[in-house]
Amino acid sequence: MLPTLRAAVNSLKGPLGLRSLQTTASRAHDSLFVHRDTPEDNPDIPFEFSADNKKRVEAILAIYPEGHKRAAMIPLLDLAQRQYGWLPISAMHHVADILKLPKMRVYEVATFYTMFMRKPTGKYHLQVCTTTPCWLRGSNEILDTIKKNLGLEVGETSSDKLFTISEVECLGACVNAPMVQINDDYYAALVLDCLQEDLTVQDTEEILADLKAGRKPKPGPRSGRYAAEPIGEPTSLKGEPPAAGFGVRADL
Amino acid sequence: MAQQTVRSAVKQVKPILSLDREEARRRVVSLYKAWYRQLPYIVKQFDIPKSEAQCRQKLREEFGKHKLVNDIRVVDLLVIKGQMELKETVNVWKQKGHLMAYFKDTWEPKPQDFLSKFLAGKE
Amino acid sequence: MLRTTLGKVLNGGPLSPKHVGILSRASSQGPKKPEQIEVFIDDVPVKVDPGTTILQAAALVGVEIPRFCYHERLAVAGNCRMCLVEVEKSPKPVAACAMPVMKGWRIKTDSEMTKRAREGIMEFLLVNHPLDCPICDQGGECDLQDQSMAFGSDKSRFTDIEYSGKRAVEDKDFGPLIKTIMTRCIHCTRCIRFASEVAGVDDLGTTGRGNDMQIGTYVEKMFLSELSGNVIDLCPVGALTSKPYSFTARPWEIRKIDSIDVLDAIGSNIVVSSRTGEVMRIMPRVNEEINEEWIADKSRFSYDGLKRQRLVTPMLRDNTGELKPVDWEAALLTVAKQIKNAGSSIGAVAGGFADAEVLVAVKDLLNRLGSEALCTERTFPTDGSGTDLRSSYLLNNGIALAEEADYVLLVGTNPRLEAPLLNSRLRKGFVHNELDVALIGPKVDLSYKYNHLGDSPSVLQQLVSGQHEVSKKLQSAKKPLIIVGSEVLERSDGSAILAAAQKLSASTHPEAKEWKVLNVLHKVASQVAALDIGYAPGVDKIRESNPKVLLLLGADDGAIEKSDLPSDTFVIYLGHHGDLGASIADAILPGAAYTEKQATYVNTEGRAQQTLVAVTPPGRARDDWKIIRALSEIVGAKLPYDNLTDIRNRLDEVAPHLTRYGEAENANFFKQAQDLAKNVKTQLDNTPLDVKLKELSDYFMTDSISRASPTMAKCVQAVLKQKQSKF
Repeated sequence: MLPTLRAAVNSLKGPLGLRSLQTTASRAHDSLFVHRDTPEDNPDIPFEFSADNKKRVEAILAIYPEGHKRAAMIPLLDLAQRQYGWLPISAMHHVADILKLPKMRVYEVATFYTMFMRKPTGKYHLQVCTTTPCWLRGSNEILDTIKKNLGLEVGETSSDKLFTISEVECLGACVNAPMVQINDDYYAALVLDCLQEDLTVQDTEEILADLKAGRKPKPGPRSGRYAAEPIGEPTSLKGEPPAAGFGVRADL
Repeated sequence: MAQQTVRSAVKQVKPILSLDREEARRRVVSLYKAWYRQLPYIVKQFDIPKSEAQCRQKLREEFGKHKLVNDIRVVDLLVIKGQMELKETVNVWKQKGHLMAYFKDTWEPKPQDFLSKFLAGKE
Repeated sequence: MLRTTLGKVLNGGPLSPKHVGILSRASSQGPKKPEQIEVFIDDVPVKVDPGTTILQAAALVGVEIPRFCYHERLAVAGNCRMCLVEVEKSPKPVAACAMPVMKGWRIKTDSEMTKRAREGIMEFLLVNHPLDCPICDQGGECDLQDQSMAFGSDKSRFTDIEYSGKRAVEDKDFGPLIKTIMTRCIHCTRCIRFASEVAGVDDLGTTGRGNDMQIGTYVEKMFLSELSGNVIDLCPVGALTSKPYSFTARPWEIRKIDSIDVLDAIGSNIVVSSRTGEVMRIMPRVNEEINEEWIADKSRFSYDGLKRQRLVTPMLRDNTGELKPVDWEAALLTVAKQIKNAGSSIGAVAGGFADAEVLVAVKDLLNRLGSEALCTERTFPTDGSGTDLRSSYLLNNGIALAEEADYVLLVGTNPRLEAPLLNSRLRKGFVHNELDVALIGPKVDLSYKYNHLGDSPSVLQQLVSGQHEVSKKLQSAKKPLIIVGSEVLERSDGSAILAAAQKLSASTHPEAKEWKVLNVLHKVASQVAALDIGYAPGVDKIRESNPKVLLLLGADDGAIEKSDLPSDTFVIYLGHHGDLGASIADAILPGAAYTEKQATYVNTEGRAQQTLVAVTPPGRARDDWKIIRALSEIVGAKLPYDNLTDIRNRLDEVAPHLTRYGEAENANFFKQAQDLAKNVKTQLDNTPLDVKLKELSDYFMTDSISRASPTMAKCVQAVLKQKQSKF
């Protein structure tokens, strides 16, 4: 909104000789760091760990010694997020109750980590890496494909609560760039050759189609690699490792 | 320091008008007389609600205020001031209120005892 | 958030196992004091204990290192980086507030690297700090302003030709006392640490990260505490400012007068800021013995009550029963006539704000008239040692030592609301010193965990006989304290409660001889001085004697009502607020409030302190003791003092400690008091111990000044509103 307004004003400025309208660019994060009550997220919505998760809570708490139970906060919040799909404020309150901590201490942690989703998130959280290596390998096209396919913008959730798109920074899978993280799984090497754009669309759309149909696509690189090994033959370090003293000066 | 004190003690002061106490006294008396003779005219001219007798008493009082002044230079100064006052009065440069000011202070006296201080709200 | 402050560790304060981890660096368990190490601050050698931080070592040689986040009374955060200094052989500057010195370090606080580091930090802070000093309430007393002048760069690189703007943060609603302009915040986290460590209200925190970090409560919740106002003083910038004071005055146009707070019995040291004869604000003054550097919200914000509901002129009740303003002569003559007619049938009741001067003047006057009916509004047991021995009505061990205690038994008191600064000491002990607290009385929130022993007086009985489960703990404590609230001593079995507390304190075994176990916590500022001067506690005397003339010295608590008196009793009210007392009076003599007179108050630990005149009394109001002095002259029993020195001499005659300002006069004769306590015949009854102030909403309006204060009314509203909130 604001950039367009600014552009419009600037275009008027020249011919009409108007003084420029001063606007302030919002450089804030796309999520809000204060809580606002919404119908989906308010303290009246009950949150309780499921029976299975209660056992997990016990197990998590058992890891930490007495007096340091607050260290279980991140695992518990994560557990709550996995159970609920995202992290509502009542889940934070519940975690605070379990750990006997002031609620503010939980809010602090939950807002600090970007992987805690504090607003309703779809079943499949598509996190597109757009950092330099992925961007060089065509992450823009992937993002566009996803946006077009789902009809959503970044940060939005589809009305059927299936998909949420996020743009994220480097996820550490640059060797198989470009990549998308969907929930906990990496889907990498979506483009075999950066020139063959069709494959991007193909791979991405295949994944989305699988997800829409309720199937789980196979995670990992699409290039046939298992992980980050070279395609085909290893190119270096093929022989036996040299013995000790290799490359050392003779007089030593 | 000591030297200075000695010097100031023996130093001859420069006279203003009078050279000795006798001369100063003469000047005072003649000023007093001049005022005294002028009083009837003052009462008439200014139409102040005071009788001649009251004015004479006030004149005496005003002179009496300075009866303890010994320094002839101060006496001379006071005489000069008195002459100026007289001239202002004779020439009707003063007004009625200025003369009445001799009779009544325009300020309230400061409360002295605790209770009047308390009632006046002043420390 | 609860970490031992570094200062505590350094000063070798007693540490519990849970704190030892922090000590690993100083590794000095054992009785032997560790050897001091020598460091050089700007080539000046200084010997310090191991573990001293660079900042503290520099302070020892008089070098003040700039800081924003560091505060002596809070945990070290080390996040503002303003205290960066160069240490020789260290490749980069180090944060002085968090770095303990090592042997032989040469610290350069004025080197090129240090200067450049400070300039850089300053620049970073100012990148997002708005340039609104001209409209900022902190302007003129702002750490950021001062330090940017002293340490900042002389030019700006912030050109912003793109109008891209600075970081903007939405303001938070912290309640009716604290105004927030969060864009100004530099994230020093002092307010968070204060809330968590001192106030014990864990409502503040940081949300978000990096450039998006904000200070706040995350949810819509106000920051309500009895100590909340102190974050205003702590905030080094104008992010948290005083709401009632906002846009009213500038620090350089204000006159500052050192004074004493009288809204509780602690006697906090304050600075009264005034401009054009009006109190603009009240701030704390450091006194390590009493309030450290905090004051409670009622002390800080109820000053607007001093401008409302004031009695500004003498008044007399006419035939129609209406109070009509008259001048002082008429008022004094009428009152004097009534007093003369009454002869010796005259009584006086001293309220909570009466100062020692007026107390002694009234006593002298009534004694001259042949009456002894001098009472305080607050009652106190008179059986046993009663008020004859000071030890039975003082907070004997002092306020400061409360934080050193290892076991505290609170009997019928809620120190959090009755004496917030004593409670902050107890909390300090709880957080840093392994203090255990037990409470007999209603279950209240003390901001720390305590052992609730129930509210039945029988618990006290069990403790005395040593059969209660906590008896053993109390017996074995090295520094036990028993703090009895004055409110439960006002019960009909008050003397039995006091006797039980005395017996109980005799059964404890404090390690040090000077440690005094028995403490009484008063609720009003005048009580100790009144008892010292010889007033009888409680208004029973008045009820019995049915005096023809009754003088109320600011007695607004409703201890005595019109119905308690014969219909022909002439009631004179001497005080500063039109409250309960004034409404039943036949004559009103307007007095001065504590900001308007130089007067002596004795706090609950027996420390005499004096207020100073910050503004003149409004209208025709006069100093209280002067009214009595003037009256005495008209009555014909002239009191022999005309000025403050005279009446202070009289105070000195009556009780010398009343004029030894700043010193706490210790009580003694504990043994005798305990012996006398054995004679007490009253039995404990079964009604549960109760306190009036249970919740924060009860705290704000307790006396004539705070009842007249709109700010305090807003606070009550806010607390009630907060209660509706889900958070």
